[in-house]
Order: sequence, then structure tokens, then C-alpha cells
Amino acid sequence: MTYIMKITNNLIKEKIVNIKKSQQDLDSFDTKNSKVDRRDFFAKTAALGVTALAGTSLLASEEGERSILKPTKWGTTWGDPVTKNLYGMPSKYEHNVTRRYTKLLASGNYRASITVTPIQESKGIITPNGLFFSRSHGGVAHIDPNEHRLMLTGLIKKPLVLTMKELMRYPSVTRTHFIECPANGGQEWRGPQYNSLQFAKGFMSCAEWTGVYVKDIIKDLGIDPKAIWMLAEGGDSSKMGRSIPMEKVLDDAMIVWGQNGEALRPEQGYPIRLLVPGWEGNLCVKWLRRLDFSTDPWYCKEETSKYTVLKPTGKAIQHFYANEVNSTVVSPSPEIDWSDLKDGDTVEIEGLAWSGMGTITGVDLSFDGGKNYVEASLKGLVLPKCWTRWSYVHTYKKGQELFLTSRAMDDAGFIQPTIDQEELVVGVEAVYHRNAVETWKVEKDGKVTHVQFRSQLGRKANGELVIEGKA
Amino acid sequence: MRKLTKRSLISISVATVLSLGLSACMEDASPKVTNTAKDNSGLKRAIDGGVTYDVINGKFGVYAVNEKAHNGKIKFGRTPTKEEYDEWSSDVHFTGEGLPEGQGTAEEGSEIYDAKCVMCHGDFGSGGGGYPALSKGNAYEMQKSLTNQRLKPDDDGPVRFFGSYWPKASTLWWYIKDAMPHPQTDSLSDDEVYALVAYTLNINEMEIDGQEVDDEYVLNRENFLKIQMPNKDGFEPQIEGPDAEKHIRAYYANPKNFGGQTYNVKNPASRCMTNCQEPTVKVAYIQNGGISDFHPPLTDVRDLPKEKKDLKNFNAQKAYNESCAMCHETGAAPAPGDKAAWSGLLEKGIDKVYEAGIKGTEAGMPAKGGASMSDSEFKMVVDYIVNQSK
Repeated sequence: MTYIMKITNNLIKEKIVNIKKSQQDLDSFDTKNSKVDRRDFFAKTAALGVTALAGTSLLASEEGERSILKPTKWGTTWGDPVTKNLYGMPSKYEHNVTRRYTKLLASGNYRASITVTPIQESKGIITPNGLFFSRSHGGVAHIDPNEHRLMLTGLIKKPLVLTMKELMRYPSVTRTHFIECPANGGQEWRGPQYNSLQFAKGFMSCAEWTGVYVKDIIKDLGIDPKAIWMLAEGGDSSKMGRSIPMEKVLDDAMIVWGQNGEALRPEQGYPIRLLVPGWEGNLCVKWLRRLDFSTDPWYCKEETSKYTVLKPTGKAIQHFYANEVNSTVVSPSPEIDWSDLKDGDTVEIEGLAWSGMGTITGVDLSFDGGKNYVEASLKGLVLPKCWTRWSYVHTYKKGQELFLTSRAMDDAGFIQPTIDQEELVVGVEAVYHRNAVETWKVEKDGKVTHVQFRSQLGRKANGELVIEGKA
Repeated sequence: MRKLTKRSLISISVATVLSLGLSACMEDASPKVTNTAKDNSGLKRAIDGGVTYDVINGKFGVYAVNEKAHNGKIKFGRTPTKEEYDEWSSDVHFTGEGLPEGQGTAEEGSEIYDAKCVMCHGDFGSGGGGYPALSKGNAYEMQKSLTNQRLKPDDDGPVRFFGSYWPKASTLWWYIKDAMPHPQTDSLSDDEVYALVAYTLNINEMEIDGQEVDDEYVLNRENFLKIQMPNKDGFEPQIEGPDAEKHIRAYYANPKNFGGQTYNVKNPASRCMTNCQEPTVKVAYIQNGGISDFHPPLTDVRDLPKEKKDLKNFNAQKAYNESCAMCHETGAAPAPGDKAAWSGLLEKGIDKVYEAGIKGTEAGMPAKGGASMSDSEFKMVVDYIVNQSK
């Protein structure tokens, strides 16, 4: 036995002891378990030597992993009866894939607050209903669909009351759209704050929605041509309302009751919410109970006190509707990094891109924080106002520092700005609508941290923002 | 908000369910989409600065569309009664539409505030508990802070509260009436709302028509409509009047207004690919650990969740019937109440019975009877059987 093989076998034995311990842990539901790290196991053995036996490449050892060599509990005993969990749940092992919250974004007792989506764990372009980000202004209402009504009022010749059953008899439309809180990334105008993809970009989710176009309901009700605004108002305790221009209402606004093939979850406004594709999530009023039509906007609390973008001029942008073109690297992330990769591994860098102004046309990737870019590939479905997956295949060099920055563009002609470009116009007090490029630093050990590439801004006598030290 | 009492004759007729005879004259009032302008990429420009798409040959992009479904005459539902209509039309416009008569003083408001509001909004509206402050001092002075930018660590930021920031007072009246107090909304009388609005104006040191809103100032509908908010001209684009959509469209058509960056859609290869950043940029790192107060803590580990200690809701009899009875009631295994069989099994103590049941037995019992109970739950089922067999 060569020295290397000895070490290999010793490592395997040591590992098996660990794995056996883990297996025992797994056998008992009462015990907190350690992680069975198979990746780690193979990394060490593979690095130490591979032997060719009878033309087949195998590791030189008579031992191996317990879960392969020994019968497993799940491979030798009954599983659950099919009658268990008639509404299915994720594997218990997935319990850490969950929405999360921070006290810093909570009003008092979590009734006017937000929980955010673990997009570092997201697959494809659909967010499962239990992980869809949840924002409410008066808590999550639980509405009896039998008693709930939608009423249409205001400058309309034929006001209307609909039961949910009646509403759902209108011809339905199914569309896949993201919903994004415009405060996504809003804590990081003055520098990075979250070493987390979930918190840096998880104020958004994407789902397949089923409902009815508002225009299909109102077309025969005699809307007064002077009514150029619609109020959408919720039936929860906060009576959340927003004014929406009729032009958007008549384009693609929907009242939705279906989300990824089932009823909306209570957190998403069960039984019905408004969906205003591409626009601020706040406009997609949950627990919808009334549409009102008028000549002027309503100046609702959430369209004046909040959801406005204060610029260095002292003027604030109001009615800033669309979530602009945006993107992020999803893999790697601070949560799921590259510390397990070996030198020379070929790995896919993956991400999401989205635009509330149209359809994603391309994504570029930078390895130096946004100075120079290469073109990434889009993959999967590319739909309007929808999450779009992108991909770039990379050969990893252990010990190399990288600054991964993605930059998306859309068919409306917009491309993500640099932080400097965006802040020179809207400053650092905007809170909402931050869509500048974002950077993950891959450290020498493969760990990932959130950084930003930005210049120091200063002000001219007239208040205008300038880059300090710019020639 | 358009209460039926203020509306046209037609609407009142509709409310009294005379819709049949009126329907013929309503067809011409259908809304029309005004956005027909196309950009050089051939796409229609939307009001938000983006693009929008038409249904072409039964397709909306990749989505197939049944156009007949959207062109037909489909109508469900009924006309609301006047009472229903008025009950839900509680919105208050800046024009005064929807604002009821009533009155209250700041002094009265102060008493209501101390009883129902202070626990969240703090003394004199100073905030706290995660809920918003209502005032940070003199509204006219604070409004001047809105040009502040925290570019450097010692810079003061802008003060954005009701007095300094909100453009309309109607927002406050409507919001208090419909959505406050937070745990029990829609519970204040109109007079109480006037009093609370007067108090809010008072702590923001505001004036109406040149007169300070002091403790004795009686706020009513008439003088409420004279309130001029210090920041009433602080917002863009212009959204009032019949040309609002035109103003909004023009605003978002200019990316310079909101910090948008553009590229040439027809020649995307012309976009910047090298040296795309200012040479002045530096890497900014998270300072002082950043925000890491995450619940639950971040991890990507796959393991089993900690068992919940609360076993109160576990029903051992139900679990027995579901998972054990098919053998233990049929003679394949010792039945509950079979004292002879169970006394033999219990000779070496209850723990041995637990252990055997959890692992499964050579006699053919699957581990935990094949059920997916926790160990603690399984032991409760064993206890349930054994207690009947003593």
C-alpha cells in the first residue's frame, strides 16, 4: 500500500466514523443532526488518488460511504402511507429554506412589516407560494371568501358588486410576473449593509398568476371618460389603497385569485389581489375589496408618506410606477458560496434579471466589479415583466479574488446604471427604486461577501451632486 | 369617493336598479386607451417609460389568447344598494370630496392621543416602538431639510414626517379615519378624527390661514380645507388635472428625471463593455458588521428540525388507530388489554419495549410500526397500549 493510499484509507475511515455518527443522528428525530458532507468527502479522496481497475476508474479503497455500503433506514423500512399529508409539505430536511425577517424592517409587532424570499435557494423562475415574500400594513388578514365582495364605485354608470364566485366566472388569463417591493435594496444606498442575497434582493418573488383583466370587467360598465384614475383599496384593517392611471388599468392590470396553480395564500391577499405587472409591489393591493374611479388621484397614505423618491433637489418623485431593469448573481451568493470548489472546477455562475418596463434582452457579467463585462447567456423562458434566468460557465481558480457584477438590459432600452450614475441623479436618500449594479466579492477561500464599487460624492454650491476628485 | 347623494341622476337611477332601460345609452362611454405612440423599436411606449405589448394574431408574446373571451359581452354581479355603496366609499379627496362635517380641538385630540395613540407614536408624536413619528418639530423648518443628503458620515439627513413632507392634509384625515388606531381601525368618530388632526397640526407647529393651531383652535371642515402643507409643491411629476397622464408620460420618457440609463436597442453591441466605471470608484465594504439581525439565522444546512417540545396536541389513541391497529387488533401482534402477553414483554422494563418498538422487532414489527412519529410520540402510543394492559 502506498503512503498516499494509506492516507486515503485513513481519511475514509475517519470520515466513515463521522458519517456513522451522522447516520445515528439521522435515525433519531429527537436529536439535532450534524451535516453529512459528501461533497467534502469526495473532495478529499479525489484529490489524493484515483486508480484504474479493470479499465474502470475507481478510488483505490475497499471501503466507502456508509449510505452506499450499508442499508439505509429509508431504503429498508416503510415510508409514510399516502394518506398522510394530504396537502403536501417540503422534506423536513428543507426546513432552513424559508422566508426570513429582520426587526429593523418591522413596525413594532410585525403587523406592518415584511418577510423576504430566500432567492439564494430559488429554482427556475417560479417562487413557491410558501416562500413568496410577504408585506402587509395591518397584518395578514384571513378573509372568508363566501362573505368577501368586490365593489366598483365612482365615475361609472353601472356600479357593481361581485361575489368571488361571480368574479371567477369572467374569462381568466394566466400570466407569469414578478412582484417586487420598490424598497428591494433600499437599505444600501449609502453602502452595502447585508451580507446576504436573501436580504439584499429578496424583497421580490415571481409566480404564475391567474385572474381577470380589469378591462374585461369594466368595459361595459360605462366608465366616464373623465375618470383617468382608479383607486384599488384593500379590505384588511389597513385599507391599503393606491391610485393607478387608467392607461395602465386598461393595458394589463389584473384581479388575480390563482397563484402557481392554487388559490392565493393569505399572505398574498386571499381571496383576491390586484396585479399591476411590472409596477411597484405596493400597487398590487391585497385583500382587494373596491375599485373606485375618479378625475384625480387620491393621495393615499402609501403614495405620499412612502413610496416616493426624494432627490437632492429636495423634490420627490411620486407615482414612480415601474420597477426598473435589474439583476443579481444568485450563484454564488454569501449564503451558498464557493468555499467547497477545487482549483480548475468548471462551475456555472447563475443569476436572475427582471424589468418592470418590458422584457429582458441580455445580461452582462463582470469579474472586476463592473469595469469590464462579458456577455452571459439567457436561459429558459424569457417573458415580459418576469424573472429571467441567466448563466455563464466559469473555470474556477482557487485563491483568486473575483468581483462578480451582473448588468441587465431590457427591450425598452434601459440598462442598469452604475451606483455613481444612479446616485448623481437621485442621491442617497431615495429609499426606493434602487437598480444600480451590485457586486459579490469572491474571497481567496471561496467565501462570498457583498461589496459596492462607488465614488465619494460631494456637492456643488447649487446643491448638485458631483463625484469628488473627478478630473 | 363619490357618495350617491352627490352624483348624477343616472347614477342614482342605477343604484335603484333601473339598469335595463339605461344600458343602451352607456355603450359609447367605453374607456379608450390613449397610448398609441410607438418608439423606434416598434414597441408601444407605456406611461411608465417602459414598453407595452399588443395581442397579435391571437398571441400576446408567447402566450396564446382566446380573443373571443375578451370581446364578448360578459357581465356578472349586481348593482350595489345605496347603503352598501356609501358604507365603502369612505375615501377623502384633497378637494374636500368625501370629507364629512365635524369638529375638534388639539386639546381634545391630545386626550384621545394619550389614550389610543401614544403607545406606538410616542410622546408628542416623537415615534418609537418601530412605528412612525408624527412630528420632529416645526414643519416649516423641517421642510427645509429635504435637500439634505447623507453623503458623509456626519451629514444630517432629510426629515420626512407628516408636517415636513406630506403634500396633502386630506391623506391624514382619511388615513386616521380608515386605518387607525392600528389594532382597532375604523373605530373613531368624525369629531375624534378632527381632534386628532388638530393635535397633529399642533405638534407640527402648523398654521391655517396665518393662524397657529394652538390647543383651543377648533378644526372643522371649512378651515381644514384651507390647510396648506409646507411641502405641497415638493413632488414631481404633476399628477392633478385632466392632463395628468400626459405629464406623467413626459416625465418618464426622460430618463434624466429618475436616473435611468439607456442603450441602443437596435444596436446592443454598442453598449459599454470595457472601462464602464468612473476611475474614482473604490470598493466599499460592509461597515461594522452591517445588518445581520436575521430571523431565523441564515444557513443552507439540510438537517432535521428540532423536535417541538409541545406534545400536548398529540393524540396517542388516534395514532394507534392509524398506525398500529391493523396488526395489534387483528391478532398479528399483542392487543391492548392482553395482560398476559404484555406482562411478558414488560419483564425487562418499559424502556426495552420502547427501544424494540422504535427499532422494529424480529417478530416482524416495522420500526415504530411504520409510522413517522417522533420517538417521544411513539412512546406515548406505547404508554397508551400498556396502560390498558395492566
